[in-house]
Order: sequence, then structure tokens, then C-alpha cells
Amino acid sequence: MSTLTPALQLSGLVKSFSGTPAVAGIDLVVPAGSFYGLVGPNGAGKTTTLSMATGLLQPDAGSAHVHGVDVWAQPVEAKRIIGNLADGVRLFDRLTGEQLLTYTAMMFGIPRPEIAGRVGDLLDLMDLREAAGTIVADYSAGMTKKIALACALVHAPRLLVLDEPFESVDPVSAANIEDVLRGYTRSGGSIIISSHSMDLVQRMCDHVAVIAAGRVLAAGTVDEVRGGETLQDRFIDLVGGRHTSEGPQWLRQS
Amino acid sequence: MVATVLRLRYRILGNILSRNPWQLVGFCLGVLSALWLLALVAFAMIALAGLGDASVSRMVVVLGGSALVAGWVIGPLLIAGMDTTVDAGRLAPFPLTRRQVMLALTGTGATGVPGITTTLAALITAIVWWRSPVALLVAVPCALLGALVCVIAGRLAGTLSASLGGNRRGRELVGTLALGLVIMAGPILSAVAVGVGAAVDAVDRVALAADVLGWTPIGAAWAVPADLAAGTWASALVKVLIAVATLAGLWLIWSRALAVGVVAPRHRVARAADPGRLGLFGLMPTGGVGATWARSLTAWLRDPRYLRQLIFVPLFPALFAFTGGLREGPFVASAVIVAFVLSITGYTDISYDGTAFASVLSTGVRGWQDRLGRLLGAATVGIPAVVLVAIVTLVIADAVALLPGVLGAALGILLAGYAVSAVSSALIVSPVSAPGDSPFKTVPGQTFLNGLLVFVVMAGVLVLAAPSLITTVIGLVTGTVQLGWIALAIAVVVGSAAITGGVIVGGRTLERTGPSLLLRIKAFPTG
Repeated sequence: MSTLTPALQLSGLVKSFSGTPAVAGIDLVVPAGSFYGLVGPNGAGKTTTLSMATGLLQPDAGSAHVHGVDVWAQPVEAKRIIGNLADGVRLFDRLTGEQLLTYTAMMFGIPRPEIAGRVGDLLDLMDLREAAGTIVADYSAGMTKKIALACALVHAPRLLVLDEPFESVDPVSAANIEDVLRGYTRSGGSIIISSHSMDLVQRMCDHVAVIAAGRVLAAGTVDEVRGGETLQDRFIDLVGGRHTSEGPQWLRQS
Repeated sequence: MVATVLRLRYRILGNILSRNPWQLVGFCLGVLSALWLLALVAFAMIALAGLGDASVSRMVVVLGGSALVAGWVIGPLLIAGMDTTVDAGRLAPFPLTRRQVMLALTGTGATGVPGITTTLAALITAIVWWRSPVALLVAVPCALLGALVCVIAGRLAGTLSASLGGNRRGRELVGTLALGLVIMAGPILSAVAVGVGAAVDAVDRVALAADVLGWTPIGAAWAVPADLAAGTWASALVKVLIAVATLAGLWLIWSRALAVGVVAPRHRVARAADPGRLGLFGLMPTGGVGATWARSLTAWLRDPRYLRQLIFVPLFPALFAFTGGLREGPFVASAVIVAFVLSITGYTDISYDGTAFASVLSTGVRGWQDRLGRLLGAATVGIPAVVLVAIVTLVIADAVALLPGVLGAALGILLAGYAVSAVSSALIVSPVSAPGDSPFKTVPGQTFLNGLLVFVVMAGVLVLAAPSLITTVIGLVTGTVQLGWIALAIAVVVGSAAITGGVIVGGRTLERTGPSLLLRIKAFPTG
């Protein structure tokens, strides 16, 4: 049954901030077991959409279902099965990395004997073993992203919602994390990820949705959406706004 | 170049003020209080000039000037980032020499509201010396010199506290200690005064202090006109030299500090704890309550914004002891006052999470678990603190018989406060300084409405605490010791019932209001 129920189904999501629409009716279906990319220009409504999908932002209209559970009618049940890496919010950054992970595991009620093992695995996975005892406020931007990603994984969720997970992450860690995420989807987990890196989405994801100005412009498998072009070119076709000048004369060095 | 930076600074100020009406209100209040201060200074100086007593004039001018310099040094430590719209770090990308940077920063420092007020106040002091034309003439450049010492000392203190920013703990510690000192200065000074005894006349001691300060870097510039008026030319000359040397020294040290600071900007010295040191997170039971309890208690023990509230625990008994004496009513009731202050500290507890509240929200922890966890965190610190204050003050006051009654009133208030806070913090968030910022930073956006809500919360606390409070008072008035025990029992029973209700109601409320609270926190200027 779980293979038939989508991992995430967004229906008619709408959200305005003081009159300005940020999300203007978004429908998305993330099939169970898929690795779903969400791409769009700055201000397209990606973060707003993902916040409404994870129970952080009350939609003006529409609904979000995670494996058939209504996020806004049964938030507690829905959030148990979501692993959420939100963008633009702080962590409890006065804790050390290890404390933060342990805390998150406790919040999800992971039995005490299992916590240390999970925390250790995640620290190794994110190459954060050395920084385990350092306060998260003292982490670099990439390290902070990694510890936040680790927090999203610690309760073994069925759906991962990752908002810009690879921003500022070094290439080696990114490759390691990529492997883990692939393994996770192969074992039946589902991921929706927002990113500005078309190469990364084309390489990692099997599905993609292009959104701009709060609407879905194209959605489907990556091959369907890009239709023979690179995802980068297709994205620019869809969104528009590409300039072709070589920059102003005074900037030329010769 | 300096002019460009000055224009930039006023442009930024203008933009901030036009964007946020509350900051405009704050700015206008700042300007008004500056004008009020200037009027006071002018009035005092004219009075002094009319009085014509040179020794009194010297005393007031030198002490006032020294206090001004000290204020400029301590200010940036208390209010980290007092005026960071333009600072060395932000000017670093531009092709400016360090001298230009320092001139620009001195300029912005001198032309802010505090800088202008300081300069004008310093100039006004010259009036005092109108009887002696030489002193009056020299007083003007000396006043400017003194104001410049203020500005540059302030800039130096700001640079030093910013470069301590690498050592975050250090800065937080310095800030907390500085505030503790400022608050305790009154009691400490009065204790010293009492200790020194009335043997020496108070006025003599103050005059002596002014004399001594006049020879120190912070007082020298202010003492020169006084010396001239008194005709002691040699000491005036030496003091001029001291003041100029102070300025040069400050400039050199500041230059060195900036050189170090710009080369290694905001270098983070990550001080790692040993892996496996989980602290409270290793002790508390797993689950939403245990996790929240551990996080909350960690904050109460380590976060300066919470620690600031705990300063009041020793402060009130100390204040009452100094002002009223050890046998008087206020000192005996210290525990009750402390309980009242502690009881409402958590009334917008979620504000202190900042946007990290998103991570609480995304775990799907039940509302009552969050409420209970935060309450336990606060109570783990608050209840022992109040009990300790009650026992210590009553033992000192030799009134241990009153212990049950005082404890009853204090715990009645404290538990009622926790119950009310469990509900109120699910409804209200207010802008507070961000974690890591100075806890004493005033945050724009504190609205009038939020200010009123404190009184609603206080009223709620008093209503819930009334049964034990009234019983205690009746017990005290009638001298019935047994009523104290009854008050204690009432406090525990009513408090527990109120807390149960507060956790349930607050929990249900939070599950409804959580997302909108997060939205409001995100809209705050501190993020």
C-alpha cells in the first residue's frame, strides 16, 4: 500500500505574506522511494512550499499529506515520519554538535541505548567526529548544514525534506552525503530536496519540479522535464531572464 | 574620505529610522533625554559658577568628567555592538589606510548622539571658570581634549570587545560581570562608605577622590582649568601632558588593536569539549519532556540571557540588606521578591529559542511535553534558588520561625508564575537579543502591547498565588506560626494544581499557535 500512497502530496497550496502571494497554488506528488528535486529562481517560493509541507508554516489554502497523513490535521503523526532540514532558521547552537544530535534524538523519543550509536554513526558520516565537542555556533556554514542534516536523519524518517542541503558543504562531504542519500532512497526512503545546482539535481534526482513565482512550471521525471536538453538549459528556457551580454565595457581588462 | 564615511553613517541611520517607526520613537527619546541631560548639566554648571567655590567646582567637574570617560569605556562592553553600523571590519574591504579608518571611526563616534552630547556637555563645563579668564580660555580646548579621550577610549573598548568576539565565552562573561558590577556598584560603594566609617567627612573623601583622579588619565583633562583657576600652573602643565599622552597612548593602542583585529578578523577559537561530554543530555530521560528539560536547564545554566535573570537572586537580598538593614521587613521578605522576579522571567520563553524554535516545531513534540520540559528546566534552578534565599536571609535575620510562611508565600508565587508562563509563552513572543549577542542589548520592536502584557501576566501570578500569600500575611500579622505551615501546604497544593492546568492548557494552545509563533519570531529584527 505504501508504494501506492505518495510519500508527499501537496494539493493547491497557497500562501500570501501581507497581500503578496509567495505560493500561488502548488500541486506536487512525490512518489514513495523517489529522489525529488525542487528547483526555481530566488524568491520562487521553494522554502515557503517546503515549510508548509513540514508543518512549520500554516497554508492559507490547500493541504499536504505525508504517506497519507494530513500534515495540518495530524501534525504530530506526520512530523514523526518527516526528517526536516529547514533553511534560514537557527539551530540550538549553544549546544555542542554531539549534544544537539542527542537532543534531537531524545525529542523523537529514540530509546536511550540506541542514541549513542546513531549519533556516532551520523558524526562519522558527516565527517564531524573531530568537531563533536565544539559548540555549533563556532561551526563554519558548511559544518552547520551538515549537523542540521544529521539532525534530520537521526530518527530514520520515511520522508526527508531538505532545503538547500549542500549549500557551503565541501565537495568531499557532499559526495559522502550523496552516497548515503542514494542508499536511503534505494532502501525505500523518499527525499525532496531544493537546490540551485542544476548539475546536482540532474545527477542525483529521478524527479524534478521547476517552480517560479509560486507556481509549478514543469514537473515529472528528470528526463521528461529536460526533454533532451540539459536541465540547466531547460530551466533557463522555462524561467527566462537570461542575459547574453559580456558585461559593460569598463569592466574589460583589455 | 572621512566625510564619505560620515555621510554613509547618516544615510544608514536615516534608512533604519524611516523603516522602523519604533526605532524612530526610540531615537527621538534618545535625543530628548540627551537634551534633558544637557539642560541639567548647564543648570548645574551655572549654579556652580554662581556659587564660585573653586574646590566644589573642581570636585564636580573632575568627578563628572572621569565618570564620563569610564562610561564610554564600559558602555561598549555592556552593549556589544553599540554602534556597529560603521566599524573597522566593515571598512576593511575598502582601500583605506588604517589612519583613515581610525579618523573615520573617531568622526562617526564624535558625531553620534552620545558623542555630540558629550562634547557639548564638556564645553558647557567651561562656564564654571568664568571668573578666571585664563582658565575659561584653556577650558575650551581641554573640554574638547576630554571629549576626544572619551570617544577614542570608547572606540578602543569597542574594538577590544569585538576582537574578544573570537572568544565568544570571554565576551559573554565580560558582559555579565560588567553588568553585575554596575548593578552592585551602589551597594558596594555604600558598604565601603559604611566600612570606612563616618570618621572622615564625606565631602573630604569625595574631594580627595577628585584630586587623585585629576592625576590619572581619565581625569587629567578635566582638572587642568581647575588648577589654572587656583593658580597652580605647574600642576596644570603636567596634567595637560598627562591628558595629551593619554590621547596618544589610546590612539597607539587602538591602532595596534585594529591592526591585529583586521588581519585576523573575528577569528573563532573553537574550544572543543571532549567528545562524549553530553552534559545534561546524558542524564535526562529520552523523550520530549527529558530533551526539553535538558535543553532548558542547559540554557538556564549557560546562556547569558537566562543568567542575567539569576543576577537578581543574590541582588535583592543584598540591596535590601544595605538599604533597610538585616532585621527589617524587606530583607526578611527577600525570598518572596526573588520568587516574583523569577516567576515571570519565562513569560515569553519561546522568544529565547529564536528561529531554532523551528526545530522544536518540526519534531512534532506534544505541546504539554514542551511546556513541562521548559517548566522543569526553570524550576530546577528557580526552586532551589528561592529556598536557599529564604533559608539564608532568615538565618541571618535570626527569624527562622518565619521560614514556613515565607517559603509558602515565595513558592506560591513561583509555582503560580510557572503555571501562568506555561500558558503565556504559548501565546506571546517578544523580540529579545539573539543567542550570542550581549544579553543587555536593547532590541528594537518591543511593543507597547508587549509591555502591557507583562502586567497581565503579573496579575495572573498574584491571583493564583493569593491563597498562600494571604495566609502567610495573616500568619505574620497575628503571629500564628502554624499558619505559615498551612501557607506552605496551600502553596504546594494550589501550585501543583495550577501547574497541571497550565501545562495542559498551554500545551493545547502551543499546538495551535506554534506555526504562527515561528512566523512572528522570523519577522523580528534579530532573527
